[in-house]
Amino acid sequence: MGRQRVAKRPRSRNRAQTLIGYLFSSGYGVLLLVFGVLPMAYALYLSLTKAGQFVGLDNFVKILGDFRFFPAVQHVAIFVAIWVVSLIVLVVVLALIVHAVRVRWLSSTTRFLFYIPGAFAGSAGVMLWLFLLDPSVSPVSVVLGQFGFTSFIQTVAQPNLPVIFTVIAFWTGAGGWIIIMFGALNNISQEIMEAARIDGAGPIKTAWYIQIPLLRKWIAYMAVISLAFGSQLFVEPKILSLASRGVVPKDYSLNQLAYLIAFGPQGDFNGSAAISILLLVVAMALAAFFVFKGGLFERD
Amino acid sequence: MSATESSKAARLGADPTGFAPGRWVGRVLAGAVIVFFTLFFVFPLVWLLLAPTKSTTQLNGLDGEHPLSFGSFDQLAENWNALVGFQDGIIWTWLGNSVLYSGAALVLTLIVTIPAGYALAMTSFRLRRPLLVATLMVMLIPNTALVLPIFLELSVVRLIGSPLAVILPFSFFPFGVYLAYIYFSTSVSRDLLDAARIDGAGEFKVFWRIAMPLATPVIALVGFFNFVTNWNNYFLPFVMEPGSRKMPVQVGLAELISNVPLFNPTTVSSITISLPQLALATLIAVAPVLVIFLFSQRFLVSGLLAGATKE
Amino acid sequence: MSAQHHRLPRIRRAMSLTAAAATVVLLAAGCSGGTGTDDSYGFPAVEQVPDSPITIWVDADRTAIVEAFQEDHPEIPVNIETYDGNSGGSDSFHTKISLFDQAGEGWPDVVWSTQVNDASWAAREQNGVQAFAAALDQGVIDQEWLDGYTANALDPVTVDGHVYGVRDNLAPVVFWYNKALFDEFGYEIPETWEDYQALGDKLAAEHPGYILGSIGDPFTAVLTNMWSAQAPIYTVDGDTFSADFSDDHTTRMIDLMDHMFANGTLAIEGLFTADFPAAYKDKVLGIPGPTWFTGAIIQNPDILDAPAGTWGAGYPLHWEGEDIATGNVGGGFWYGSSHSKNLEAVGAFLQYAVSGPRSVELITGLPAYESTASEWLDVQASSGYWANSDTFKDVVSTGASNIWQGWGATLAFSSEPAWAEIVAPALASGGTIASVVDEWQTKYENDAQVNGYTVK
Repeated sequence: MGRQRVAKRPRSRNRAQTLIGYLFSSGYGVLLLVFGVLPMAYALYLSLTKAGQFVGLDNFVKILGDFRFFPAVQHVAIFVAIWVVSLIVLVVVLALIVHAVRVRWLSSTTRFLFYIPGAFAGSAGVMLWLFLLDPSVSPVSVVLGQFGFTSFIQTVAQPNLPVIFTVIAFWTGAGGWIIIMFGALNNISQEIMEAARIDGAGPIKTAWYIQIPLLRKWIAYMAVISLAFGSQLFVEPKILSLASRGVVPKDYSLNQLAYLIAFGPQGDFNGSAAISILLLVVAMALAAFFVFKGGLFERD
Repeated sequence: MSATESSKAARLGADPTGFAPGRWVGRVLAGAVIVFFTLFFVFPLVWLLLAPTKSTTQLNGLDGEHPLSFGSFDQLAENWNALVGFQDGIIWTWLGNSVLYSGAALVLTLIVTIPAGYALAMTSFRLRRPLLVATLMVMLIPNTALVLPIFLELSVVRLIGSPLAVILPFSFFPFGVYLAYIYFSTSVSRDLLDAARIDGAGEFKVFWRIAMPLATPVIALVGFFNFVTNWNNYFLPFVMEPGSRKMPVQVGLAELISNVPLFNPTTVSSITISLPQLALATLIAVAPVLVIFLFSQRFLVSGLLAGATKE
Repeated sequence: MSAQHHRLPRIRRAMSLTAAAATVVLLAAGCSGGTGTDDSYGFPAVEQVPDSPITIWVDADRTAIVEAFQEDHPEIPVNIETYDGNSGGSDSFHTKISLFDQAGEGWPDVVWSTQVNDASWAAREQNGVQAFAAALDQGVIDQEWLDGYTANALDPVTVDGHVYGVRDNLAPVVFWYNKALFDEFGYEIPETWEDYQALGDKLAAEHPGYILGSIGDPFTAVLTNMWSAQAPIYTVDGDTFSADFSDDHTTRMIDLMDHMFANGTLAIEGLFTADFPAAYKDKVLGIPGPTWFTGAIIQNPDILDAPAGTWGAGYPLHWEGEDIATGNVGGGFWYGSSHSKNLEAVGAFLQYAVSGPRSVELITGLPAYESTASEWLDVQASSGYWANSDTFKDVVSTGASNIWQGWGATLAFSSEPAWAEIVAPALASGGTIASVVDEWQTKYENDAQVNGYTVK
């Protein structure tokens, strides 16, 4: 967009700006190369070799044949499915309701309260939920009892884990998304809303026919980001595994498996790199799809 | 913000059919949903804030203690002393490491990111577009996905265990570059820069004297997101800094589990961490981030929106 | 536009130069690690720094012996760090060492592990980095001292004729019983598994709420019960692994556990959970378990806290008509690091931990070092604590000399995670062990396969 304008300027100005452009972006460019491009290239190299020899897809075949791989894929897939669907539904519903609240301080306080748990992203949040999920200390042991959970082992039994991870991730992450959706709702022009009201549409119809369609890009953005992040599950099962003495297996998620294959009994960096590459392909595909089709980001 | 809020206030409130029974059912339902979720988000926090003031038996509720009761300041002091006494105050070492890693990364990130955003927005050069597209792509890839590849790369150059192995990857912050890019391209006018140029200012001076003073909000924003993301990062420092005197507090916190009798079967009561102490450690681990969250609420919320919309 | 075309190659070169410079800096930072080596220990040790501090990794249990060492040897500076002790086959020992291998620094000098099988990796080079565990018999510790070990106690850490660790205790399983309760109820101490199960039926009928053991932990269910029952579910022959879940020993023990769990005489609570003493502090009639139950469970003020004279040790339970054979629960090993800068201090600590003046007092089970063991047995027998002071020594040595050798104790993967992951949740949700036997077996076979064993 700025190029024509630049072209009209004197040649020296143009050169100076080009130089500044390269200079100013060089530090970041180096970091992008060293911590973005190079690691991917190196992981790809490792995944296709063994002891420096090119072995084609052998590492991938070996990983696919590892009995822990498909269960891990399944665990992650189930978690991601539950997580993304519940996140979309609940975040949109909550944002719509909060947006409809007339009392300004109430609306902003609510958003703030929803957002605060975001400070606990990472191991601290998992730690807090350890307390809440263990019936012997949990302040909500009555609630756990309603589900028939009277011991920590019962609570963290494998079939419950996707829901548990969803609850933890929702607790720490939903507030931020609700604020983003709220902002997007604010961007919907007043005339459109007014027109809907005059046509006699109630809040539900307005939400369904006007607001939600206009949020589509944002919902897609949230879905892509949470899909990508969900597939990387690591810290939650890692800590639960430590705390449950192995009831939550140490190879529950794909990243845990990649970690174990690299540093556990196999000591196999090539196999670990193969898993990383598979995960990266998924993340890259989602990112590329969204960057080029999502229409949300300015890349002029 | 305020304009939209007030016009929004006109929206539902002025509804003439506000007293229709169907509307009321809807409102009560919506109210119930809000109350439920507010409890869901807030209750665990309040409980955690109170937990360090209790003894283990009080926390277990064995003596009929209400979950949201306050223990005592004496008990809080006792838990505090036990925690900071654990392994000669290793929690301070962990906090110090967190400050070092996140702090150094913060400085480096700002030095690298703000000019890069400026370059992408205000100048033109051949690699500009590829750089922008690459930034968007990498920004959407979760940072966890790159942890093991970066580990393998850094182990080739034998940097594992060095503070740089955490600080450098922490400083690579494409989301910040995108934020700065959006900010400069929408909030700083090219004409203003051109006017300075006509007055004879060089490119450096234009950036430093004109663009930078205008960029304070985005500097704060990038700094905030970078600091919070890095402070809470677990996986990267977990592999990069395996030594217990080098780990940041988020990793150290998880290590504490090994010393909690409830979670570790081989533990007898010699040197252990009790649950209220673990709760206290959890709070200390997030304290800096929590304080930032609490005291920059308005700024943060608007920042989150700015980060998400191109306006 | 054209101007940009002209500039570009130079800029591009500048960019690639920057990247190259960054790489050089990174490489240079890493190349400064070269230090002199010292071959007098039989492996490439780093240059020794006398009086340099040593870092010791222990689980919380073992901190006591390290603190005793600090008191008795103030001249050796020690950093204590606690970790999970590798319990339950968590692999935390191995994964952390692998990370240090890549860091090229940061290894602890001494590590405690509750597992028996760590020498399978720690005595070998991995990813081009020398074996973590120091061979101890070529200078770190005198052979004469090593000869003081109970026969075969060091087998799990002996690789290619060299010793890579020192054993803390032998952990043969015996039958611990509450004599006071037995007398009160008028029961006979069981000798066989059949007696034990029959006693369970009687107890459930006459005194519901009392128990004869727990299957809440993998070490009670798998290492205590399955191993003692001589169940061939975890066996290795050379490189061949086999798990026979249809063997009569296996099925009988599984039936026994299902039966006694159903009638409430086997608890589901783990012994170290807060729930266990809350529910059963005075209601444990008896429990099969390793010798370290003495200090860790029976005398532990937080668990059973039994008064003197109430508890005794009975001969290991066995199947009727078969010889006595029993299981072994860990025993624990100390490893020295081959990367240590102060191997002299490492050697001194290792010897102190298993045979020092405080070892009799602080080792909770039957010590593995012979002189410590005999002293420990004397102390136990003469303390008056045990209800069977006269037979205590004989019971423990009977256990120690009858450990069933069919169990693959040094397999590269642990037998415990399968129980935690598969069986424990099934029991917690009201199922039976028998219902998940197939998954259990598959888990072992899969583990064996990824660890490079041939599965038969």
